[in-house]
Parts: sequence; C-alpha cells; structure tokens
Amino acid sequence: MADASVPSPGTPHEVLAGLGDLTRRVRAAQRGAWFPLLLLGVLTLGGILVSRFTFKVETVPCPATAPAAGTGCTQVTQVTQGSPVYWPIGLALAYAATAFFYIRRSRNRGVGTPVRPYILTGIALVGLVTATEIWSIRQGMPQPGAPIDFWGLHLDPASGVTAFLHRLTGNATAVGLPLLVLAWVERSRTLLLLTAVYLAIELVPLTTGWAGIPFTSHWSAVPRYGVPGVLLLLGALGFALAELSRQRDVS
Amino acid sequence: MTDQPAPHPVTGLDDVVHQRVRLGILTVAHQARRVEFGFLRTALGLTAGNLSQHLAVLEKAGLVEIEKGYEGKRARTWLSLTPAGDRALQDEVTQLKRLIHQIEQGSSAPES
Repeated sequence: MADASVPSPGTPHEVLAGLGDLTRRVRAAQRGAWFPLLLLGVLTLGGILVSRFTFKVETVPCPATAPAAGTGCTQVTQVTQGSPVYWPIGLALAYAATAFFYIRRSRNRGVGTPVRPYILTGIALVGLVTATEIWSIRQGMPQPGAPIDFWGLHLDPASGVTAFLHRLTGNATAVGLPLLVLAWVERSRTLLLLTAVYLAIELVPLTTGWAGIPFTSHWSAVPRYGVPGVLLLLGALGFALAELSRQRDVS
Repeated sequence: MTDQPAPHPVTGLDDVVHQRVRLGILTVAHQARRVEFGFLRTALGLTAGNLSQHLAVLEKAGLVEIEKGYEGKRARTWLSLTPAGDRALQDEVTQLKRLIHQIEQGSSAPES
C-alpha cells in the first residue's frame, strides 16, 4: 500500500522532513487548548459577578478641616470586593476538569497527552497564590504609610512595586504561568502569543476611569476581569475553530 | 600509530530502526508517549496486518512495549517506547543529520 504518511524512502533530508511532518500531525491531535481557555475565560468573567455581589464601601464622616465638613459629607476609606474562596476553588476545579478532559480525549483519540506539567504547575501555583491570600487576610489591611512585611520584604502599601507584586501574585501567576507551560508542552506559538498578551493585561494596572466606571461603583471590577476574560474566550473560540477546520481537512 | 578515519554515518544506521515504517512508528510513539494501534494505523496509512508485523519486529528488538487491554467491551492495544527505543530513535536522527552534513560538505568541497 503506497501512502504519503510514512517517511519517504528518499534522501536523508526527505526522511527527516517526513518525520517532522509526522511529529506535527501527532501534536495537532494532542492539542486541546480551547477547553482550558474556555473554562478560564468563564471563570474570569464570573469574577465580575462575584465582585459585584461582595462589593463593600467603608466611609467615615469628613474631617472637621474639610470644606464640606458639617454638611453630612462622608469620605471613602476602603473599597473591598471579591471572595477569598472564589479563585482558589474555581481554579482548582478548572485544572481538575482540564485534566479529565485531556485524559478522556487521549483515550478517545488513541494518542497520549502531554498535559501533566500544565496541570501540576497550575495546581502548585493556585496553592501558592492561596497561601499568599490567606497570609494577607490574616495580616489585615495596613494603616496608611505603615510598611507591609512580606517574606522579608518591607513594602510600602502605596508604592508601585507593591501594586505590581499584588498583581503578580494574582491571576498572572495562577493562570498566566501555567498557560506558558501549556504553550510549551503543546509547542504552540499562537498560545504563547495569547499568553504573553494575557500576562501583559494582568500585569499592567487597568484603572476603571477609561471605561467610565468610578472605582466606588459596584461594577468597578468590569475592566479588571472583563478584558482578560474576553481575551481568553476569544482565544478559546479561535483554537476551537482551528481544531474543527483541521478535523474537516483530515476527514 | 595511524589515524583511523571517522566511520561513515551510514555504518551507524540500525537496520531495525532505519526501515521507513518502523522509523515512523518510533517517531509517533516518541511524540505521543503512548499511542493506540488504531491511531498509529491511520497516522501511517497502513493495514492492520502490515503494522502488526512491524510492531512485532520492534517489540522483539526491545524498542517498544505493547500493552493489550479492554475499554468497556472494546479491545485496545497501546504501545509506548522503551528507553532503548528512545535512544535508538535519537541515534537514528543524529546519524541522518550527520549524513546530511557530510553530503552537504562533500557537494561543496572542490574536486582534487
């Protein structure tokens, strides 16, 4: 039976090219990045609702020196939103579901899955981020100007470095770094690019002003979760369409 | 003492591995880690009988491990590379690359 799938019996160049082509076809059969992207996208957009329903503003009467003092004015001291259990539980479930999805697909398609490093990295980092969050909850909110002692670092709560570390120890670590691992195990440049954009969005401070939403609004989390959530869902859609078109080409 | 010329890369090619179908099987198994008979047959475009013959050769040489079982009522055969199979594939690819290098050097060298 003559076929084009087996490496051709030609020059060493042609044999190596044939092997490269086979490897690419196996990789294509192993890929399934649309599923974790879909879960993470839905989870991220869900963060908007969680923030909406846990939104709390703490106010105090204006100080006597303020121009509007005595008119019943109040001053916002703290805005809190988000649940400490939503992300750890949501991400752990997403990683467990992704492992189940890849294993089931591997059985159906008859080809092993390289997803283990992604799942292990994801679960380890979710644990780390959760530990950091529990630590910060136990420490409580620092007084203005008081330094935060974090693993030997003396951080000023108002500094840009602290704000960056806060963003870094959030979804950038628990979602972005595992996605980098997934891009590596799936040898996918497109996923690598998508992850780089995701990390940039997570690490750059996204204020609410450009979206016309004041930070005291119940919907102030829309830009913070909406932008990365939509990016992940668009990525999921793109990968799913690419997979469908590949399956159509094969059949 | 005389200088021995380096052995030509073709002497390093293993006949069991170099056969094109078996080279394809090892390549797919290397990338997939674990691969099912049906996937291999489709990926390589072979008949079941032909594939079984080549798998028997590779198994006898200790390059692959074959595991038979059932998923529900369906019989499935999975195969994976042994460490020796992994090494044999790496050696084959190295020898092929050396051969290409030698051919390219030979074609660019001036004739004496």
